[in-house]
Amino acid sequence: MDKLLTVTLLRRIVQLTAFVFFVYGAMIFTTFYTGDKLTQNLPALSCAYDMKGGDFCALIPLQHQMDHRVSTLFTQNAGMMEALMGTLITIGTVAVLILILNKAFCGWLCPLGFFQDVFTMIGTKLGLTQLGSLSRETVNKIRPIKWFIFPVLVLILPLLTGIGFLGHEWGNPYCSICPSRIMTTAMTGDMNQIYISQANTGYFILSLIADLLFGLMIALALFVRQPFCRICPILPMQTLFKKIGLLRLVKNGNSHCDTCSSCVKACPMDIYEIQNQAENKNITHSDCTLCGRCVEFCPHDGVMSFKYGPIILLSSSKEGFKKRTKIDKWWKG
Amino acid sequence: MKKTALMLFIAATLWGYGDGAIYWAPHGCDDGKKTASKHGGHGKGESAMFTLMNTEANAHAHLILPDLSEQNLTFKRTTVMLPKPSMGGYYAMVAKGYDTNATFSAMRYLSLQGRPAKVSPTKLTALPKTDLEIIPDPLHREHDRYSASKSYRFLLHFQGKPLINTAVTLETHDTPVQTYTTDQTGAFSITLPNDFKNVQVGRSENKPSEFLLSTQHRDGEHLYKSTLTMPYSLNPNDFWQSQSYGAGAIFIGFLGGLVFYRRTKKGAKNG
Ligand code: SF4
Ligand code: SF4
Ligand code: SF4
Repeated sequence: MDKLLTVTLLRRIVQLTAFVFFVYGAMIFTTFYTGDKLTQNLPALSCAYDMKGGDFCALIPLQHQMDHRVSTLFTQNAGMMEALMGTLITIGTVAVLILILNKAFCGWLCPLGFFQDVFTMIGTKLGLTQLGSLSRETVNKIRPIKWFIFPVLVLILPLLTGIGFLGHEWGNPYCSICPSRIMTTAMTGDMNQIYISQANTGYFILSLIADLLFGLMIALALFVRQPFCRICPILPMQTLFKKIGLLRLVKNGNSHCDTCSSCVKACPMDIYEIQNQAENKNITHSDCTLCGRCVEFCPHDGVMSFKYGPIILLSSSKEGFKKRTKIDKWWKG
Repeated sequence: MKKTALMLFIAATLWGYGDGAIYWAPHGCDDGKKTASKHGGHGKGESAMFTLMNTEANAHAHLILPDLSEQNLTFKRTTVMLPKPSMGGYYAMVAKGYDTNATFSAMRYLSLQGRPAKVSPTKLTALPKTDLEIIPDPLHREHDRYSASKSYRFLLHFQGKPLINTAVTLETHDTPVQTYTTDQTGAFSITLPNDFKNVQVGRSENKPSEFLLSTQHRDGEHLYKSTLTMPYSLNPNDFWQSQSYGAGAIFIGFLGGLVFYRRTKKGAKNG
């Protein structure tokens, strides 16, 4: 057993458990009603449209607050407190959750993250040629997209809708294109979220993007690691608080890094910056999902580590690297 | 003359609905809508006034708030006006009427916006409110609606215990009465009919309809009759949303990904 016990195996067990909780949790742990969900502001894509889900993400309350509450600052001269209270509660809850687990919500708990991982495993087992690392140019081109999606689709368009500049369809535009909405509901046998709307041009475009994106994500996940995560608006939201996260990726520089790049190859988000020299520095990048693969695949003792506050949870080592690469070869056949 | 004819027509269409049992119906008058919009918390265009249909003078009613506290509702003839909601969550409207050998009850739930009460809605539905009670299991989601073409589960309880093998009827304005029977746990599931007419494109363009569940139970000489009424909305998937086009678009997206795969594979070989 010890031969197989790796961070990745542990992560898969946690991810599967979290998937069951976030997609089916209302059947056992919480209840059907939104008011009874665990945090109601999760910094990961657990979906409110899933009637059996145990919790839901922070993006849906944020969009609703922009549309129905924050907008009243402009439309009804509402008091600051009344208009901003809900948003402050959401932001505060997200901050506390990030403080506790930081970006591990992505690598360890997000149902959509796990869903993509499963398709990558299927693609590998089907013998599809895996794309491996994306080039720096490609990564640099894709990265800004999520920094557009988060402010525009989650904050600005819903706010403009609430003020009255836009039609209803722009009240929660991110949810309208979110692949987790389709994935989680379909996993519970509810196919109602798969549709093309002909209500008006806005609804039509959003529903078309949602379905195309969902199909594309599945196909890409068969040979590209974490395809949707690269544009996911949860990452910018987490980034706002990542500095306070107790869990973090720390690097203690090593001159071998220049020629090695083992960590970058292992990183499912292609964060090439982790190869840079650093002395006992928190290198948790905005795109990092704290999956731990870079720690597993670093062949040098103590260079990469996961720290929780002052405690080192996991550290890279020659032995660990050997064991991990052996398992990787076996897995990839 | 026209007015009398209209009254006669309305009376004729409503006659027999609910089979003599009392039930709640929203009162669409301007007064009710104005009060609702002043109160806030209600949805757009909703009324804060409700009529207790088929009622006799001896009926009384109360409201159970999301925190499970109670508030009396005062009748003005057969209508009640809801008070301004003091908190957000589900409210239960309970009406009871008595005859020498019969007890009538009517239930209705509302989901109103406001500061959440921090009490699980499961407590409100589980709380015994009338002798014979049709209990949503669960209710529709907060700020959501019951929808046509979807199935929903309910429980039937008599004095707090499941009532098995009992008939419950479902009535809507445009679909013939359907009868369901409770199972060994006192549960039954209904599918709301897609019976909306003159549908306009867009959810807010179409008014919700009403469904009525009614049942009765005889305990010795005494008859109990109970109803539950709730609004339900049309299902866009029955009208302007196409699920097959949706599945088609997912397939096209998937094919797009496969084309990309072929290109990268070629690139990998050539490079
Ligand atoms: S659709 Fe996406 S963003 Fe909206 S609630 Fe679901 S997971 Fe969250
Ligand atoms: S980045 Fe990926 S893992 Fe993180 S919330 Fe988004 S979909 Fe989930
Ligand atoms: S930097 Fe490391 S922990 Fe972060 S996503 Fe990449 S491999 Fe995972």
